[in-house]
Amino acid sequence: MPFQEARREMSEMKTQYVGARISRVDAQDKVTGNAVYGFDVDLPGMLYGATLRSPVPHARIVEIDVSKAIKAPGVRAVVTGKDFPFTYGGAVKDQPFLAIDRVRYVGEAVAAVAAETELAAYEALQKIRVRYEELPALFDPREAVKEGALLIHPALAQYRRAGHDIVPGTNICTIRTYRLGDVEAGFAEADEIFEDEFSAHAVSHTTLELHAAVAQYFPMKGNYTLWSSTDRPYLMVRELADALNLSPSHIRHIVPYVGGSFGGKNTLIAEAVAVALARFTEGKPVKVVFSRQEELTATQTRVAAFMKLKTGVKKDGTFTARKAEIIWDSGAYVSNASGVAIRGSYTVFGPYRIPNIELISRLVYTNKEISGSYRGFGTTQVTWACESQMDIIARKLGIDPLEIRMKNGYVEGDRYINGQVLHSVGLKETLEKASREIGWGETSTQPSTIKRRGKGLAVTLKGTPTPTSSTCFIKVNQDTDVTVICTVPETGGGQRTIISQVAAEAIGVPLASVSVTNPDTLITPYNDAVAGSRSTYHMGNCVLMAAQDVRRKILELAGEVLQIEPSRLTLSEGKIIEQGGGERLTLKALLSQRFGPTGMEILGEAHFNPSHSALLAANPGLKGLDSRMSSIFWMFATHAAEVEVDTETGVVKVLRVVAAHDVGRAINPVTCEQQIEGSVLMGLSNTLFEEFKMEKGRILNDSLSDYKVLTTLDMPEMTPLIVESTHAEGPFGAKGVGEPAAAATAPAIANAIFDAVGIRIKDLPITPEKVLAALKAKEGKGC
Amino acid sequence: MVEINARRKDNVKVTVNLTVNGEHHQAEVEPQTTLLEFLRESLHLTGTKEGCGTGDCGTCTVLVEGHPVNSCLMLVADAKGCEVTTIEGLVRDGRLHPLQQSFIMHGAVQCGFCSPAMILSAKALLDRNPGAGEDHIKQALSGVLCRCGSYKKIIQSVLAVSGGEKGNV
Repeated sequence: MPFQEARREMSEMKTQYVGARISRVDAQDKVTGNAVYGFDVDLPGMLYGATLRSPVPHARIVEIDVSKAIKAPGVRAVVTGKDFPFTYGGAVKDQPFLAIDRVRYVGEAVAAVAAETELAAYEALQKIRVRYEELPALFDPREAVKEGALLIHPALAQYRRAGHDIVPGTNICTIRTYRLGDVEAGFAEADEIFEDEFSAHAVSHTTLELHAAVAQYFPMKGNYTLWSSTDRPYLMVRELADALNLSPSHIRHIVPYVGGSFGGKNTLIAEAVAVALARFTEGKPVKVVFSRQEELTATQTRVAAFMKLKTGVKKDGTFTARKAEIIWDSGAYVSNASGVAIRGSYTVFGPYRIPNIELISRLVYTNKEISGSYRGFGTTQVTWACESQMDIIARKLGIDPLEIRMKNGYVEGDRYINGQVLHSVGLKETLEKASREIGWGETSTQPSTIKRRGKGLAVTLKGTPTPTSSTCFIKVNQDTDVTVICTVPETGGGQRTIISQVAAEAIGVPLASVSVTNPDTLITPYNDAVAGSRSTYHMGNCVLMAAQDVRRKILELAGEVLQIEPSRLTLSEGKIIEQGGGERLTLKALLSQRFGPTGMEILGEAHFNPSHSALLAANPGLKGLDSRMSSIFWMFATHAAEVEVDTETGVVKVLRVVAAHDVGRAINPVTCEQQIEGSVLMGLSNTLFEEFKMEKGRILNDSLSDYKVLTTLDMPEMTPLIVESTHAEGPFGAKGVGEPAAAATAPAIANAIFDAVGIRIKDLPITPEKVLAALKAKEGKGC
Repeated sequence: MVEINARRKDNVKVTVNLTVNGEHHQAEVEPQTTLLEFLRESLHLTGTKEGCGTGDCGTCTVLVEGHPVNSCLMLVADAKGCEVTTIEGLVRDGRLHPLQQSFIMHGAVQCGFCSPAMILSAKALLDRNPGAGEDHIKQALSGVLCRCGSYKKIIQSVLAVSGGEKGNV
């Protein structure tokens, strides 16, 4: 069914499931222990893999001697980069499955063993001897970016896919510049110019489920089957096929439940080791589960960012110009940090009307753990800079921080930095709701002269990768069970619940009759990924159209059987109802009358890609446009925090966070709240507790006793608020919520700290040491 | 030649007797086998998860004699004669435990990887303090990490069962 027609039908519907507080459809599996995760996959004859990792940050591999390991008890295969000399990388193909001749960070995979037991595999690792010739290493991207710096990838320009985004002969593996208007003229017009530097640090995803993959290679066919916890099976198949020179049809990827991803499970990680080993185990499947130490030190982190902002404003608080220079720390390989350095950077201009802008964003190699996508895809880091500076500007100009955001914030019909006309803009409503709830303008009660309280707020905007594709099938069997066949990993975000609600609503069947398949690329059709908060919008639209296809077919059948014009019939809760005539028969009765006792399925199908939407049009007159700038929908949010700063210890306690999110339409308010509350806690944990302690490229705090993650005892009072701006092309008006949710938390906290004690922390994380040092510096100045 | 099993040279085994979810088990195990390994690998009770293997995340929590224990740190040999409860033991006569029901009702489940440990930790608390209030619940659950950040709804779920006092006391 054409998209527009589907939309018309939908807009006329009264909803029963959509918008309701439905309990999650996956919850029962999970509370009973029945849910099977990638971590749980267990196959007959399965071997266990373990990985030998580099102890040095940068070195040439002189020799690897595996002769003793291969003879160790229980060992079936030992693999090095020489045996499996393939490389991968979505943006730049720079990353070997196992180091080939060079290691570039502490923790890089150098060799792997497959053995009968996990213990045997780990014991064999100790028998591998590697000789390294150490090279000087670079840990700071601000050093690595300099001309003449030693090259971490001397052959960068020769790598496949190293296109125009790289700078040959440097460590810059992605560069993106963009200009709108004339910043210099803008600065000349300004009454005040603000220049500030901010940094946002690398943090770990720390998904509770460790990275886990099982790979099986069928030597006679040259095929792989892969079971793993990932949020993007199809893109992983494509990536793997490209790396190994196979057709994607030779790789089957099955995804059980995923125990959290947050962007951390969307590239080949445990999969890379499992796939390399499986090639050498004569058809036996190999399971690779990373340890927590490996998860913290040898997977991916958030991309650390160093940001310089120069912003010109008029006395009344209107912007005249902003120049932003960002250096992103890629770590040893590009992975998907390239997308972060491009798409993430664009939002450094915030959800504000700024007439003249200039952006220079560079992603730079260092000899550290790889960085990549992390809930927010760069928006979290740049929002830290944008919203901290916004507060600095407001305070200096003597304008209320709420008012300056209301004054400059996007409204419906404003143009984004590429000229895209913005639609479904609930920014101001989020500002109003959050500020009202936190009691903005009412001074905090001060518990003592030592413990000082204050309030702060911050806003954010986040797009979704556009355009991307989703396809789904829906089948209804004779017992009226409905199966939605699609490739949407349930990573914890409630994807399966949303899909079930949309399907039940749009077909007109009870929610309990709907189930959603696990992704299996042999069976389930193409879908880009669970990423960028895209699932509700993209798969939601797709499921809606397929469901309407099914519904139309059912009503046509009913029309034939009942001898009534189908347009006079509707389907509701599995019952065929005639206009004015009441219930005529059940769906089950219809199907058995029509098809008799033999089996029969009704099928619906749909494909969705927003590439032709008029909403995406940029301003063609602008120079240097990038097709990744337009987003089919934009999400907006305001977080407001109240904190208490202990001026003797520097400890910041977050008392309350109010988080208002414009989600378009909440298909399920419960899952929206889950995303918002979860993100606030993740944002708070990232901001106050989490930090890698490094020494010569080695992460010292490589366990969860040393890498502190927030617990129930650190939790503030939280109020999630939902704003519904209704997107004209979203399923039932919905947009998304998962990704932007953490972005505004950090600056809201920092702005509240300023309100409480008048200090400005510009470098994340906000630690008691930094707070105390800033308090001392402030006293020293006699402020 | 490949040996069938990688075993320590001494190949010592110990006999353990324990009750898991009301069912008695006797097994010969290697002395270094953890309770977690025994539950997952020998009994195939995979509802008990592992998140670190070093006792930091609480994901592997089970009840031993009613007390929450990190099963990754406890040797199964040390559970000799004990009554062990895992998440699989909570469903009775096909009916969910009130805590399981409450977790579903209150939206306390996201990725679900911590859910078994959270529910068992809460059960241990409510078994000894049926009317536990928010403070006690927060304390009792503080040993289990939830990266999806479901804490608020998890605490609400437990409070709904205990009927205890809300807010910090």
